[in-house]
Amino acid sequence: MLNFDWLKDVSPAAAKWVFLTIFIISGLLVLTIPKASILEGVENPRWWHNLKLWALGVLAVIFTIYYIF
Amino acid sequence: MLHGIDYFVVIAYLVGIMVLGLYFARFVRSADDFFLSGKTLPFWAVGMSIVATDISAMDFVGVSGQSYRFGMAVGNFDWLGSMPAMLLAAFIFIPYFWKAGLYTIPEYLGRRYNDAVRAVASMTWIIFFALDLGVLFWAAAVMFEPLMNWPPWFSIVATATVVGLYTFFGGLTAVVMTDVVQMVIMFVGGATVVVVGLYHAGGWDGLTEKIAAMGEAYQNHFELIQPADTQTPFPWTGILFGLTLVMSNAYMIGNQAIVQRCLATKSVWHAKASMLTGAFFKMFIPMLVMFPGLIAVAMYPGLEDGDQGFPTLVKNLLPPGLRGLLFAGFLAGLMSTIDSILNSTATLWTKDIYERYLRRGASSRHYMIVGQSATVALLAFGVITSPLSKEFPGIYVAIQTFLSFFQGPAFSVLLLGMFWRRATQWGGLVGLVGGISTSILLYIFKDHLFTIQEPFLYVSWWSFVAGVLLNVIVSLATRPHPRGRLGGLVFGLPKEPSGSCEAAVC
Repeated sequence: MLNFDWLKDVSPAAAKWVFLTIFIISGLLVLTIPKASILEGVENPRWWHNLKLWALGVLAVIFTIYYIF
Repeated sequence: MLHGIDYFVVIAYLVGIMVLGLYFARFVRSADDFFLSGKTLPFWAVGMSIVATDISAMDFVGVSGQSYRFGMAVGNFDWLGSMPAMLLAAFIFIPYFWKAGLYTIPEYLGRRYNDAVRAVASMTWIIFFALDLGVLFWAAAVMFEPLMNWPPWFSIVATATVVGLYTFFGGLTAVVMTDVVQMVIMFVGGATVVVVGLYHAGGWDGLTEKIAAMGEAYQNHFELIQPADTQTPFPWTGILFGLTLVMSNAYMIGNQAIVQRCLATKSVWHAKASMLTGAFFKMFIPMLVMFPGLIAVAMYPGLEDGDQGFPTLVKNLLPPGLRGLLFAGFLAGLMSTIDSILNSTATLWTKDIYERYLRRGASSRHYMIVGQSATVALLAFGVITSPLSKEFPGIYVAIQTFLSFFQGPAFSVLLLGMFWRRATQWGGLVGLVGGISTSILLYIFKDHLFTIQEPFLYVSWWSFVAGVLLNVIVSLATRPHPRGRLGGLVFGLPKEPSGSCEAAVC
């Protein structure tokens, strides 16, 4: 049990989708964060202050890396 | 061996970074300045500093050594082992820490649980960082020896002297601002090796073809996800449970050296943005530290020690000048990690131990001097203990082994502390101490319990599970904290404007 033997039959291809799903869920959770919370501490908000865009950009890149490799 | 122009590049780098670091000494007047830069840092500097702190000599030598032996799977540590955790840190934990006005993560645990949890967590981090210093200094010796023929003790003492000076005088501001320059030099130096190495290996296609032609043992070298029953230290189950769910979160949320600089930003938006900036730059790290190992496999197969892959590449492929640039990049990685560990450990010692238990109510300048003294003591300890790293088979695995002892339990108390208001002070203490004890037992009996050679990912996961279970069981059996005590410390419970209790027990 300590070695997760019960998961040894899961193929690496299927396991890859577990990780891709984590990225997708992370992106969806980021989208649910209230805008007021995102812009907290900003005096004159501009579009680039929206940290959701930053997070989604990073997730898009890493999703692509894991999709390829 | 380095040539004249290489020595010029390296010396110019060392002098430049010393001058820059010492310049910031003029802004250090108090403990706030020394430990938190007076809360003036911008997000871009902190983001770059996070990356510079995270990538080190250990990565250049150790990660390329691991990729030489096991392939791309080691890249999971910087990709999967960072992104989800950095998002969680940026949007959930860091804002709470910043608004609470914390200096240290154990300080949060002290307010959320009790002083014993704070002391255990702080002392554990102090011990880890001190041992970590020894590993880093030894990594320096491993890198210096083939390039400059310096004996290990000389490399170690020289590195300690240079870093110690500007960290002692300039505090966190010097650490962060030199990190910015060091990250740029590191990226340029690391990219130089990759570009030149790929050119000699016949480009990406040439590299993949050469490794694929090396036989069955190398068929998974370009796979990030390894089977669950792999004999490498990176089965996907360990990557998921140990790395993604525990170690990465523990590192990005609970590591004082990472989080402290976020607490020094000028606003809560800058604190969040700094972590996301770090996440962006961190995506490039595997390309700098992992690809050299793959290139070394293709060009110099059969090396006895994978950790020699990177130095061999540098020695044989880089012309004079570029070799000096790479060496400066290596030094930058090393120094940026060591200076951060020095400053953060001094902060932990001063705020969590000295101020709390030895001398309360002293002046801010007094605590600054204590922090500076701790910096010197840590340097000496790191130098003395550095030869211990020889006892471990791989430098990178050695550091992960140290980490796995308490990363899981430390994250378990942070997670339950932030998201479960029913967690009590005794639950936190038993969860932390019991989890660490579990880690140690699992490691002692690893040969009987685990099928892979270095099971630090599994140790980390199971010690996290033990920490959570113990915390829950003991919390449910003990008296809960009053709601007023938890305001601003638990997710969804805003800080009450007045009358809230910040004492250890209300």
